[in-house]
Amino acid sequence: MASRTSVADLDLPTVTVAPQDWPVLAHFLRDDPGCQYDLFLDLCGVDNLRRRGQPTRFELVVHLHSLSRNNHVRVRVAIPDAEAPSVPTVEDVWPAANWFEREAWDLYGIAFPGHPNLHRILCHDAFVGHPLRKDYAPGQRWFFAEEDLRMPEWSKKTDVEVDHFETQTISIGPSHPATHGIIHLVARLDGERIVRAETMIGYLHRCFEKMAETHHWNQVIPYCDRLNYVSAMINGVGYVRTVEKMLGVEVPDRGRLVRTILSEFSRIMDHCVCIGANLVDIGALTNFIYLYQNRENIYDLIEACCGARLTVSYVRVGGLAVDVPGDFVPRCRALLDSIPVFLRDVEKLVDANRIVRNRLSGTGVVTKEQAIGWGLTGPMLRASGVPYDVRRARPYDFYDKFDWDVPIASDGDNFARYLVRMEEMRQSLKIIRQALEIFPSSGPVNSDDWRVVLPPKDAVYHDMESLIYHFKLVMEGIRVPSGERYEWIEGSNGELGFYAVSDGRGGPYRLKVRPPCFPNMAAFEKIVLGGTISDAVATLGTLNIIAGELDR
Amino acid sequence: MSGVIDVSRRNPDRLTLLQRLYIPEILRGMSVTLRHLVRNLANMKRLPTILYPEMKRNYSGRFRGKHILKAREDGTLKCVACYMCQQACPAECITIVAGEHPKIAYEKYPVVFDIDMMRCVFCGFCVDACPKDAIWMTRNYEMAFFNREDAVYSIDRLRETPEEIQTHGYGYRPYYPGDGTTPPTDASRLPVLPGSGERDRLREGNVALPDRDLGPGPLNAPSQAARQQAPKST
Repeated sequence: MASRTSVADLDLPTVTVAPQDWPVLAHFLRDDPGCQYDLFLDLCGVDNLRRRGQPTRFELVVHLHSLSRNNHVRVRVAIPDAEAPSVPTVEDVWPAANWFEREAWDLYGIAFPGHPNLHRILCHDAFVGHPLRKDYAPGQRWFFAEEDLRMPEWSKKTDVEVDHFETQTISIGPSHPATHGIIHLVARLDGERIVRAETMIGYLHRCFEKMAETHHWNQVIPYCDRLNYVSAMINGVGYVRTVEKMLGVEVPDRGRLVRTILSEFSRIMDHCVCIGANLVDIGALTNFIYLYQNRENIYDLIEACCGARLTVSYVRVGGLAVDVPGDFVPRCRALLDSIPVFLRDVEKLVDANRIVRNRLSGTGVVTKEQAIGWGLTGPMLRASGVPYDVRRARPYDFYDKFDWDVPIASDGDNFARYLVRMEEMRQSLKIIRQALEIFPSSGPVNSDDWRVVLPPKDAVYHDMESLIYHFKLVMEGIRVPSGERYEWIEGSNGELGFYAVSDGRGGPYRLKVRPPCFPNMAAFEKIVLGGTISDAVATLGTLNIIAGELDR
Repeated sequence: MSGVIDVSRRNPDRLTLLQRLYIPEILRGMSVTLRHLVRNLANMKRLPTILYPEMKRNYSGRFRGKHILKAREDGTLKCVACYMCQQACPAECITIVAGEHPKIAYEKYPVVFDIDMMRCVFCGFCVDACPKDAIWMTRNYEMAFFNREDAVYSIDRLRETPEEIQTHGYGYRPYYPGDGTTPPTDASRLPVLPGSGERDRLREGNVALPDRDLGPGPLNAPSQAARQQAPKST
């Protein structure tokens, strides 16, 4: 095995392994005291058909994190068989791998012998072929009829008797007001308790990753906005950071602070939407309106900066689309004053309310071990007592200079997630307040490297050389050096990672998003077991599933 | 940097008897909502609700709405059909067909400039990409249509009109007042260079260009006259 395995130090320590050795290595990485890679982050396929210098056509790229040692590692499984690629499953090592392996099967046709439920996950069941393979012609249409819908095998047999009740199988969704998006849950009920469940997603799949492969690096930014559309700014920041690291471009402090401030405001918005919608699901409508007032005010600020409320497209590789308006700092300060008022009102209404407590306390419990095994990140993981926050674990931008706390809770139930989110909003306000103190009143927001950033318009209009740079950038895109990079930031739902592969062209060769919702949603069918349907609705609310990010 | 706080300690799982009785908490909650009600009734003018369409949201001067094509002083479009916006568009919604302008200072102009508003994602990349200050955006966001053909805006609907700016105002643009950018020189104001009028005059009079003898060469095919006059070498 040792001869077939190699270790390289790229942007992350990278282990290259043969498929037959992968389960052994997986156990070693998880259990060895010197490794302890317990948090499974991401698994994706890469097709090297049009990439030079790669030994095999298909490879599987896995990213892991060690909570105790606080570092990431990448494992590359090089698959020699290009005709029928197959890799043994590691679902038994990290349960979180389950859905990621299904995704790799769906998009790349990489089989996982031993996988308990290897079905398509993002594409529909009448789909033919594996769309992210480089030889799959885009633009093909596959008709999907109602009878093509795959229901789980177990759900077809309704006559199983458990105890004294006859069990019943019901479908919740895809279009159900409580699913907040299009998510299909098939649940088997024994009396009122859910005894088995399976979630089916992919209704909002719009081939983000395939689209990215046919666009320039900068042109992907509007697509990123539509991942987690509730906090669109954070997606853009995460994406451009990946490209900037590949290029080695530095963004001036002012630009990075604008990104930090607006990202934190976006996080507040995201939590407002999550808590508001969750409380609506359990019958508390007023909070929704108070929390949405915050969101409305933040949207006004974001719109004044970039010209759009929801799909911001504000960041660019190397900086921002346009400098912030002159009244940016006073407007931020006004928001800092108005947001806590509404938060206090919500807390007064909710915290000691017996109905809310009865609905949220003790339901949807996730223990610490489960949370880590299922690959949860963000408020979900912190509500189970693990203080993993990317802003703390690997501070980017200015997060190490600010004084703020990582809120955790020990219960792991729905109410703990509500408390963590409320406190996170307060901490975000704290971060923004400190960021405004060191915010430079003037200065550039963009890098001055014109191979990356569009030159100022004044120069483009009157200077030939700038016009040439402008032309090259628009027509050919940014030339990112060949290589790969995984960059991760703290999204509002957890670790938002972008794995980008460049072959030196103007656009990505492969772009994989690690959506924080994806493992959260994968865990949903396990969290709801033993609870009632009304608990499942409350749990789905605190998971904060954003279908745009889940289905990409 | 700072520490980690456990928020679950602050909220003990057991509620007090008063809280479990529920009625006092209801009253406390009602006081919050009533305070909002009273405050809103006292400030009816500052209610956050916008009664669309009678009232409209006041968007900033950077709002990314419907596009406009800017015109030169003589009314021709500033666009020189360089295809940069078409190339920059991530949604591939711009279609340009270029034509040669009879006036030599303008060189090229768009015969067709279509924006498919159903595809457009209003990201503003076309405005960023334009090197000629020819495409801006407005604050007009009301673009409903009943069929797909109407969604494709051609030059006649994209050309800037004073009424549209009066109603909606400018939105996202390549530069803003006061940021120190000098707009590009209006090509209609450029001085007429000596000799440059020749092509225009010939076009207007429909006179064919003289068949000049450029001599033999790899790029210049010998003209008809030169071929006739040249002695046969073989």
